[in-house]
Amino acid sequence: MSLLALEGVDIFYGDMQAVFGASLHLDAGETIAIIGANGAGKSTLLRAIIGLTPARRGRVVFDGHDIAGLRCDLAARRGIALVPEGRRLFSTLTVEENLLMGAARARPGPWTLDSVYALFPALREIRHQPASDISGGRQQMVAIGRALLTNPRLLLCDELSLGLAPKIISDIYACFADICWRGVSIILVEQDIVRARDSSNRLYCLLKGRVTLEGSSATVSLDDIRHAYFGDRRS
Amino acid sequence: MSYVEAVLNGLMVGGLYGLFGLGLALAFGIMRIVNVAHGEFVVLAAYFGMALFTMTPLPLPAVIVCVAAAAFVLGWLLQATVLNRVLGPNPIPAMVITIGLAIVVRNVLVKIFGADIHTINIGPLQEMGLQFFGMAIGVVPLTIFAIALVLFVGMHMLLHHTMIGRAFRAAADDFEILETLGFNRRRVYAAAMGVAVMLSAVAGLLLAMRSSFTPFSGVERLLIAFEVVIIGGLGSLRGCFFAGLFLGVVQVVGLKVVPNSRPLFGHLAFFVVLLLRQAGLSPLLAWRRK
Repeated sequence: MSLLALEGVDIFYGDMQAVFGASLHLDAGETIAIIGANGAGKSTLLRAIIGLTPARRGRVVFDGHDIAGLRCDLAARRGIALVPEGRRLFSTLTVEENLLMGAARARPGPWTLDSVYALFPALREIRHQPASDISGGRQQMVAIGRALLTNPRLLLCDELSLGLAPKIISDIYACFADICWRGVSIILVEQDIVRARDSSNRLYCLLKGRVTLEGSSATVSLDDIRHAYFGDRRS
Repeated sequence: MSYVEAVLNGLMVGGLYGLFGLGLALAFGIMRIVNVAHGEFVVLAAYFGMALFTMTPLPLPAVIVCVAAAAFVLGWLLQATVLNRVLGPNPIPAMVITIGLAIVVRNVLVKIFGADIHTINIGPLQEMGLQFFGMAIGVVPLTIFAIALVLFVGMHMLLHHTMIGRAFRAAADDFEILETLGFNRRRVYAAAMGVAVMLSAVAGLLLAMRSSFTPFSGVERLLIAFEVVIIGGLGSLRGCFFAGLFLGVVQVVGLKVVPNSRPLFGHLAFFVVLLLRQAGLSPLLAWRRK
């Protein structure tokens, strides 16, 4: 059975529709990537899954229950966590206080402050610094650690690579094997298509709010992706 | 009263002014709510404390604890039942609600207690003083200052060393992310409003032992709270504390120079601060951008 299934989801910002009839599914232990251009609706889809921008129509089935319309904090307590675009750390809190916020309402599970510090050793040394004073790469580590400390079953990662140097992006993606190994399923939203394909089992492409491609990351060709990403220009 | 004594008395009143500002700043910083009824809560606490003290055999410390507890519940209920319904990017509905609430509280107080000037008479304790180098320092103002200081330090501990305090600060930074971590924003807000009203209520009760009040004193208290927040900066405990002390000292020393000046010199000092440091307004303006 799928851990998560979206069925015909429509999402609106006020009167403006951002996502049209999107369907996708994710098995437990799987990593999927959602790619697409700016404004394609990738982040919106993540916001709908965790309940920040509830889907207006369609079903969001998580672990056998329809959670469309469920309040965000309740969805979080069922085991969904978000690493938001732009990291969005609590800027007046220290690194460790940010992490503690993740742990405060956590479900039981393997992730503790110590295991997050083991995953990102750099954070232990700077744990008493204000979160606003540290580098972007380390902020991204804090954002991931904060989400992991809720002990999620499903981790939503929005544009991890945004504004970071390639070397740092590689370091951050390298930790995903560790995270998956502890039984967390992952949805990656990325603009970096190659990175998204290499890090996922399957991928979906969004174009103007619609799913235009679904396929196994190992077999889908860059041509198919280009086609789905930019729309049908050749025919 | 010498000038040194005036300064000391000003510090004691100023500690309470700082608490007025702190209560306003908490609601403002965490919920983005401008609580116009803030001053009325301060006065309501004074009346409630007076009623408890004169009509029940409770000793003064017990009265203070009762008022603090009642104020927390009041703030909690206000947020949980009313203000949580108008959360959103527009700050006006919450402001209008608190304006209406202020009018209601003021008129209920007139109906019950009349429009006369009251003060809380705590008996012979009022006159007790300690002699320092020939100056008389009242036991009561000294105790009041100590309580104000304890409340400020206590708030610092709450905000930095407890989970709910960290949640207050996190909610001020980014409430959406706090929700994605499993926190119910409405509960955090209700607790924050409870604490905010409690701080102001205790300060209002203590001030009522030092000065008189009527049902219409709320506006004056609100004004002081705003001045403290603007001088001290939003989201700064220390700023609120020192801004309160500054206003208190200026006002009491001014009273010594010109006995009829009432709070005039405090307001003038505020005006001067604004002229000297126009950036002082920025905390008030910055929150609208969010």
